[in-house]
Amino acid sequence: MTAAKLIINEIKGYHRFLKFMIAMVVLGALASLVRFIFGLGVTTNLNDVYPWGLWISFDVVTAVPLAAGAFTLGAIVHCFHIKKLEPLVRPAIVTGFLGYSLVSVGLLLDLGQPQRAWHTMVYWNVHSPMFEVSMCIMAYTTVLFLEFLSPVCEKFGYHVPLRVLRWLEMPLVIGAASISTLHQSSLGTFFLIAVDKLHALWYNPLLPLLFWLSAIFTGISIIILEATMVHRFMGQPDESELLEVLTKILPWILGVYLIVKMAATTLLSHGPLFDRPSLLSLFVAEVVIGLLVPMFMFMKKTCREDQRMQLRGASLVIFGVVLNRFNVSMFGMEQADQAIYYPSIIESLVTLGIIAAHILFFVLLAKYFPIFEHHPETVDYSIPDHVHGTNAGHDHAAVSNRAAN
Amino acid sequence: MSSTPVNFETTKSFLIDTTKCTGCRGCQVACKQWNQLKAENTKFFSGEGYQNPPLMSEFTFTRVKFKDYQKNGQNEFAFYKEMCMHCNEPACASVCPVGAFKKTAEGPVVYDAGRCIGCRFCMIACPFAVPKYEWSKAFPLVRKCTGCYSRVKEGLQPACATACPTAITYGSRGDMLKEAEKRLKNRPTRYHQAIYGKEEAGGTSVLYLTHQPLDELGFKPVTKRALPSYTWQALRLVPGIFLTVGGGLSLLSWFTHRTERIRREEAFKNSKVQPETTESETKEEGK
Repeated sequence: MTAAKLIINEIKGYHRFLKFMIAMVVLGALASLVRFIFGLGVTTNLNDVYPWGLWISFDVVTAVPLAAGAFTLGAIVHCFHIKKLEPLVRPAIVTGFLGYSLVSVGLLLDLGQPQRAWHTMVYWNVHSPMFEVSMCIMAYTTVLFLEFLSPVCEKFGYHVPLRVLRWLEMPLVIGAASISTLHQSSLGTFFLIAVDKLHALWYNPLLPLLFWLSAIFTGISIIILEATMVHRFMGQPDESELLEVLTKILPWILGVYLIVKMAATTLLSHGPLFDRPSLLSLFVAEVVIGLLVPMFMFMKKTCREDQRMQLRGASLVIFGVVLNRFNVSMFGMEQADQAIYYPSIIESLVTLGIIAAHILFFVLLAKYFPIFEHHPETVDYSIPDHVHGTNAGHDHAAVSNRAAN
Repeated sequence: MSSTPVNFETTKSFLIDTTKCTGCRGCQVACKQWNQLKAENTKFFSGEGYQNPPLMSEFTFTRVKFKDYQKNGQNEFAFYKEMCMHCNEPACASVCPVGAFKKTAEGPVVYDAGRCIGCRFCMIACPFAVPKYEWSKAFPLVRKCTGCYSRVKEGLQPACATACPTAITYGSRGDMLKEAEKRLKNRPTRYHQAIYGKEEAGGTSVLYLTHQPLDELGFKPVTKRALPSYTWQALRLVPGIFLTVGGGLSLLSWFTHRTERIRREEAFKNSKVQPETTESETKEEGK
């Protein structure tokens, strides 16, 4: 059989859901092609009044905190040394790596001149939050790629790089946390320039701090969501006991965030807070549904232990953060007398394609690489007599090899 | 950002006296001609009032806004020439990731199309909604009033200032401010007692005098603080935060891994006696 036939047969064997995801990704790719042929003006609902739309609000401003699981968990496991959470790290790194790669794709689609993206590396402007974020995203995607190389090397039995990666583990974890702190907060700095545009409910000088704190609890919630989903739909073991540790951390961070947010909104904001009922209800929804409810849920032991409640609480937190990012980058920026922006079909298809690509690539990576079967003590980091061509001697590698064939 | 400090007393500025404007729109035509901008297909009453084109755009860098009002029971027009304000400390220049905008020593804020990556952050940042995008193109760039930098550099006045028969005076910012204050003092009933652009957004190179209160004419109320300072107060902390978080976490890891390290060292000592018992401790744990 030719290679193409092999691949086609392999894809034919996929679950219906995966085939649907592939279709969504193809649709998204076609839609982004249309954007490059006909231009941003025709294919999107963006205009001079709304220069930033769905692609910035979701694909960049929301997707970055949603991919924060890797750095949060890395710090929790390796720096705070809660070792038993180790099995959750690798899936989180894969999620983070995919997330950041797709943020880069989304950002490139949104740029008017994507072929000039490298200009940020040549023409520095340290006064620009966008410069800071793009440098950080490039650096952090590299870090995540290096961390992601571990399962790849394990699968193919490359022992020398494995030893190097093992040695780099702590520097990478610490680098990841510092770089993430910078760009997660700088995404908030973006909107500090919109002084008379962003509504006072969200505009305050502590926006960067709020963005960073919310990235931490979003990262934790994403890990809960992902581990639960993987248990339900991909036949992986139930990790709810490990997740319980995370749910214990959550109310603390949610509480600190809530205090800072309320203090900043009431004491540090300028301008009327209650003049726009629609914005006020969005703000209340964000605080009540996305903060108060999950915080009180996770303060109760029964909720923390119950797998269903874990999932519900984490989903609420994620809903809250998505709403918050849209409030800051889209709804709160709309002036009272302006027409309301809504995304065009092309914009929506591209964003849906990006979300589908994330799910698809995650499932495929989990299918072919040892992502869940990671038990550091079982991996042989010594250099064998024959460095090349070994089967690495890992059972899981052999299993996934068989699956791949 | 501009690299050399600019003296805002000597930067060239527009003084636009809207009480003297007749609404002839010679400035609009001169701007289109000098910048070789395409005409727009316009209709009457497609915008707020009589003005055409309805908004500034990639093809229109300046336009005169018409405002109806009643004076002594008669309908009157007030006019307001909208254009780039050429801020002393421009928000567009501070947010641009590739530094495509620059405040020149002569006064105009200029845009380098060769650098621009098309991220549109300038459009979000500008408090006056000046930068416009080439929405008609597949690979768009930003367009905005150049302050006729190519003319000013050679000692000429901007096209609109040259064409204007009545309202625009062009000169150094210091002189223009003095002139504006003189007019406010000499004819207090003619003018609303404020110079728009004196302190707006930290000071701009376009100054307006009006008869009506500013908001009635459609001037945006804008902060008096220079906009770059809003983001810089957070961004300046970046190196410190990077070092604090990195150092803090390194230190924390050193302590949290300490017990394990000690246990491993002792296990190593014992291993000379019983090599197989410490198998579970051989796991590498960072440095």
